[in-house]
Amino acid sequence: MYIIKNALRSISRAKGRNILIGIIALAIAVSACVALSIRESAQKAREDTLSLMNITAQISVDRSSMMKGDKGNFDPSSGQRPSFDSMKEMLQGSSELTLDEYEIYAKAQSVKSTYYSLSATLDATGDLEPIDTKGTFDKGNRGDSATSDESSRPQMPGGFGGGNFDFKGMMGAQGDFTVVGYSSDEAMTDFISGNKAIVDGVVFDQNTTENNCIISDELATYNNLEVGSEITLANPNNTDETFSFKIVGIYTINATENSNFMGGFSTATDSANQILTSYEALKAICDTSSESAEEVTDENSGLTTSTAVQGSLNYTYVFAKVEDYEAFADEAKALGLDDKYTVSSSDVKEFEDSLVPLENLSTTAGWFLLIVFIIGAVILIVINMFNIRERKYEIGVLTAIGMKKWKVATQFVTELFVITLAAIIIGAGIGAAVSVPVTNTLLEAQIESNQEAQNDREQGFGRNPMGDFGGMTGKPGMPGMPGGDFNMEDLPEDKGGFDGFMQDASNYLSKVSYSTDLVVIAELIGVGLLLTLISSLASVMFIMRYEPLKILSNRD
Amino acid sequence: MSTLQLENLSYKYEKASANVLSGVSLNFESGKIYAIVGKSGSGKTTLLSLLSGLAKPTAGKILYDGKDISKIDKYEYRSKYVGVIFQSFNLLPQLTATENVVLSMNIAGMKDKNKTQIAHDLLGKVDIEPEEFDRRVLKLSGGQQQRVAIARALSYNPQIILADEPTGNLDGETQDEIMKIFRRLADEGKCVIIVTHSPDVAKAADVKFELRKGKK
Repeated sequence: MYIIKNALRSISRAKGRNILIGIIALAIAVSACVALSIRESAQKAREDTLSLMNITAQISVDRSSMMKGDKGNFDPSSGQRPSFDSMKEMLQGSSELTLDEYEIYAKAQSVKSTYYSLSATLDATGDLEPIDTKGTFDKGNRGDSATSDESSRPQMPGGFGGGNFDFKGMMGAQGDFTVVGYSSDEAMTDFISGNKAIVDGVVFDQNTTENNCIISDELATYNNLEVGSEITLANPNNTDETFSFKIVGIYTINATENSNFMGGFSTATDSANQILTSYEALKAICDTSSESAEEVTDENSGLTTSTAVQGSLNYTYVFAKVEDYEAFADEAKALGLDDKYTVSSSDVKEFEDSLVPLENLSTTAGWFLLIVFIIGAVILIVINMFNIRERKYEIGVLTAIGMKKWKVATQFVTELFVITLAAIIIGAGIGAAVSVPVTNTLLEAQIESNQEAQNDREQGFGRNPMGDFGGMTGKPGMPGMPGGDFNMEDLPEDKGGFDGFMQDASNYLSKVSYSTDLVVIAELIGVGLLLTLISSLASVMFIMRYEPLKILSNRD
Repeated sequence: MSTLQLENLSYKYEKASANVLSGVSLNFESGKIYAIVGKSGSGKTTLLSLLSGLAKPTAGKILYDGKDISKIDKYEYRSKYVGVIFQSFNLLPQLTATENVVLSMNIAGMKDKNKTQIAHDLLGKVDIEPEEFDRRVLKLSGGQQQRVAIARALSYNPQIILADEPTGNLDGETQDEIMKIFRRLADEGKCVIIVTHSPDVAKAADVKFELRKGKK
């Protein structure tokens, strides 16, 4: 006990020396606190966001592995290419799962909840017109004509592979509007995230088969529609088949979401032309249409298409945590999911990508901490060695009057530890105050650097970076809709050009709000203890080597 | 029985060097003042270092109450059984007179709660004025520092007091006062061993041992 008292008294007696040690320890503590806070922020940002995130996943056909599987059936040594026909046959046979099948895997323990939506495209009728910024909508060839005319379908300038491309295929013709039917509120993710919001009326009841719908405010203004108005849409494969919808609400689009942009070749891909209804209502339309549908085989292509309204089901599984998502694939397989299907989640990848700058910063902070630690330890060792030499006489007297060397060493280490601890407390306070702004400033610089690197890379490949894509003046509210003089023919025909356009703008985590917490303080004390031990090691060695008689005789 | 007994004690600083002390055998008893005299280089201070456990004999042994001190923890021996008064006092200059005395008691492991009071009593006993108690020893005179060193040596009540030239730096009057203190300690039953050049101090001692070239 007296050792601690002696240590405290000794600190107060030699103020100058201890203030110098304190200032150095304080500089180390502040730097270490900021570095540790950055690391902790990165860790917390990951954990907190993941815990708050509802991770969603979809089951889709794993075409890549299917192709590999098909290739596996032929002998490469034969020098022949794999059969296109067999591959095409296989891919066409790999249908999407039905709702009932999706529901089987929803029983997996890891699944927290599910939601789904059905989407189909329908044509405009009468005076109703979709918002068209590409000139692909031709009213004269639509709606009232008795038959569907293929030549009136939007033709793609340039198109893929250089030829004209129409949207007609297995799914039939592409309509003017995308009608999306939702199973629940949860399925309406854009409304949950705030990207869309009702500005007039109410949302439809998801449990009804009544054809109630909500439309975008732009579409409403464009067609002079309001809540209570009725619109009639037609089957794009059979314009005689029409469906009436009652507008019960009007929504506005608040934010541009990359996911909303789907290429912009048809008016249906414009999110302003999305008509939202209940799953039950759209399912009823698809079922009714299917009952009276005919199958038509194209003489040229040999493709068989149905005149029914074709719906595309999008089923989403929601998980409470990443571990559940990771467990889901195995559970689904155990429940009978075929190998040709794969489970994927864009949320986790997007989240991981968003953390890149913070992770980089965290790594840099780790190195910075190590350097500070090494430099700090060296400085403290040197100061301590001088300190011990200066106090040699004191050590000699104390040991001469019977104080054991280890006790003398303990007193000296205690002195250093108390100073370091005080520096840590003050350093933690300063660090807590500056860590958030410092982290955010560094993070901003890191993001800028990442974005510049990304832009440079794109320019290196001759692509225009996302920021200044030629003529893309789509205003907020019309996400992904290239405006102005955007011309598809300006795009390179290869896929690369398209990739450049579609490339995700870096949606990095740009702010942290976490400050120094107990974990950081504990780590800081750990760092302080380690520094004290390392730096006092030299002094302890000196003390253990000193012989009192020698010290005192030399002095005499 | 002797409090301290030297049996054929020899010492040399390095293996190849000559003996500083050769075959010294002495007995020290409680209640007496011993003066060890001799010319410079005769080994007086070396003998004191051996008696205080600061140095280890190269041959022979020192018995404290019949026990070989090489078998006793040397720190415990120094902190409990012998009180050493160094020629240059060896007080801690940054501490006050009281703190120097209390520190010794702490090192000796004394559990008394009123160590400060004990220290004050001891300082009073060696004629330090109360106003000097809490003054840093660096600011005290040579005589006062010597008294504080004596008080420190007495603080844990050792049986043996070893003093190296305790009056070397003091004037005649102070020397007499210090010798009076030693006499009082001897009267209280302590064994006081003084290494000195001073004939007056040697005269005031009960027994005088003279070292000649490291021999008695």
